[in-house]
Amino acid sequence: MNPLLRRLRHDLFATPADGLITLALLGVIGAGASSFLRWAFSQARWAVIQANSTLFAVGRYPIDQQWRLWLLTALLAAATGITWGMLRSHPRPDRGGTLWPRNDRIAVGLLVALSLLLPWMLGLSPSVQLRWLAITAVLVLLRWLAGRFGPLLPGPFKRLLPLGLPLLYLIGMVLIGGGLGLASVSPSEWGGLLLTLLQSSFAILLCFPLGVLLALGRRSELPLLRWGSVLYIEFIRGAPLITLLFLGQNMLGFLLPGGLAPERVWRAAWVLTLFAAAYLAEAVRSGLAAVPRGQLEAARSLGMSMPQAFASVVLPQAMRVALPSMVGQFISLLQDTTLLSLIGLMELLGTARTVMANPAFLGRNAEVYFTLAVLFWCCCAALGLGSRALERRLDPAAIARSG
Amino acid sequence: MSQPSPSILSSSATPPSDVMIDARGVQKWYPNGYHALRGCDLTVNRGEVVVIMGPSGSGKSTFIRTFNALEDFQKGSITVDGITLSDDLRHIDAIRREVGMVFQQFNLFPHLTVLDNVCLAPVLVRKRSKAEVREQALALLQRVGIAEQADKYPGQLSGGQQQRVAIARALCMEPRILLFDEPTSSLDPEMVREVLEVMQNLAADAITMVVVTHEVKFARQVAHRVVLMAEGEVVEVAEPEAFFTNPSQERSRRFLDQIL
Ligand SMILES: Nc1ncnc2c1ncn2[C@@H]1O[C@H](COP(=O)(O)OP(=O)(O)OP(=O)(O)O)[C@@H](O)[C@H]1O
Ligand SMILES: [Mg+2]
Repeated sequence: MNPLLRRLRHDLFATPADGLITLALLGVIGAGASSFLRWAFSQARWAVIQANSTLFAVGRYPIDQQWRLWLLTALLAAATGITWGMLRSHPRPDRGGTLWPRNDRIAVGLLVALSLLLPWMLGLSPSVQLRWLAITAVLVLLRWLAGRFGPLLPGPFKRLLPLGLPLLYLIGMVLIGGGLGLASVSPSEWGGLLLTLLQSSFAILLCFPLGVLLALGRRSELPLLRWGSVLYIEFIRGAPLITLLFLGQNMLGFLLPGGLAPERVWRAAWVLTLFAAAYLAEAVRSGLAAVPRGQLEAARSLGMSMPQAFASVVLPQAMRVALPSMVGQFISLLQDTTLLSLIGLMELLGTARTVMANPAFLGRNAEVYFTLAVLFWCCCAALGLGSRALERRLDPAAIARSG
Repeated sequence: MSQPSPSILSSSATPPSDVMIDARGVQKWYPNGYHALRGCDLTVNRGEVVVIMGPSGSGKSTFIRTFNALEDFQKGSITVDGITLSDDLRHIDAIRREVGMVFQQFNLFPHLTVLDNVCLAPVLVRKRSKAEVREQALALLQRVGIAEQADKYPGQLSGGQQQRVAIARALCMEPRILLFDEPTSSLDPEMVREVLEVMQNLAADAITMVVVTHEVKFARQVAHRVVLMAEGEVVEVAEPEAFFTNPSQERSRRFLDQIL
């Protein structure tokens, strides 16, 4: 018998009871899938998505300035390609010949297929379709170049490479918001996926150092610092995000003198950051608790100062433990950005609501919500994938096992 | 018990140069009120190997951990290589650079390779060049007999190998004194010897060592003096032959009856 058939039979039909369950589940899945497909291909009217794809992507960002976002997308694709390639090219002799592991080949295939199909399905103009294809080509090409020639780069250059990522973030901010000679685009004109990603990436990047500081403060021997951290963490964790968002909109204006109070969009970003930091602090705290006391003692007995011991001995180990729950926090942070629509920001959900309120697209809610769900799922899946790769790299034992 | 003269000694009052550790009347209470050290005196000379023995809970670990300020103490004074231990953080950091410590549980850094474990502190603390430290680290790993494991992670080594890495790590800081807190107590019997051999070689190189151990053979062959602690006090300090064959204190005799 064919081995695949044999395995299927062994896994799914080992006993009569197993067989029954399998058949019943197959029935349920089949029915669900067929009614979904019927909806997707005959009832759903995807014109609502096609007509509004730019709105979903960037909101009311001025059309004559959108080249900046294209440039940013291309830069992000390049950075992704380089990072991906460098990770794979990690000079590990035992991994010889796996510059393109199977999963990577699948990922590239999926990317190319998506960049061909999606713009076409969205009914974008041929020149825009071509642009997406070019961006994908940049990503794949740099992935190959970095994987192939990355190891040959001089050491100092390789060590400086990660600094490119924060630099890219700053460049991105300038490209989006203007400055340095670019016309300024006010935050109230940012929207859609652009705003969602901006808000969540800002909060994720900044809540990380804040959360680590809070976690350290909570373990500090200075009572004031310790109690301050505890109070902050417990207060934030006890309050629903939506109330904090409203509070932020109303209160930051009072707290900060006149012109200093940030724009609405930035106020929301700061509230998200401060909110996430409290949760992150708890994740980091559990990581710190998992590092045995002897580690700090060994570091101190070698003459390291407290900051040195934390930076090179305790935190790297704590981070590895805390990483899965931290990524969980990041994923819920990404989803929590939908609450921003309630304070009037035009992020993905806010954009979706204006689209659905348009009489031309009456009754097309299902299509819009479905698209939103898929978009969020994609972002979260990307976060999850990235974190798993990071987790493997932070775990020397796993690296050793795979060798 | 000699009367302590706390805090009069300052770092400028350098004791005779051959005294590496001078502990006088050290008393320590743990935060829960337990009186762990009840006035301990000990002098360790340059190049000397001192072995500390004693029943479990007698305060051996507490005592040697005060030498590099891993534990604080409330009364008495400790001078290490001319530097008086006080609350002054600069003194503490200075002393820790000069005093190496090897722990019962190895305490290697599991996220770093063996080589990086050894190189980390000299680069960070002594600000030495990476290449130079790396060379020295490889030489030290060679000396403790595990040069070929340099690129592995601690979790991939046996206990005996890990402890030898820990010794190399301490040595790479070029300390003037090495403290050992039961370095072989969590090792399988067949690995005890490889670690003791390394320590014996260090002693032959005239490195000052204070060793808490239950290894009688090591104490007899390597130690210049043996210290017996019981109930937070130093009961007896004697040369090994005298200590093991004819201890002067009744408490030592009882202890030896139990372990020999
Ligand atoms: N953090 C602490 N808080 C309170 N009491 C402590 C603490 N650490 C140790 N002790 C107590 O102090 C005493 C001395 O402990 P220490 O670890 O120095 O003994 P030891 O001689 O090294 O024993 P062992 O051979 O078991 O290692 C013990 O009775 C122990 O219970
Ligand atoms: Mg002990």
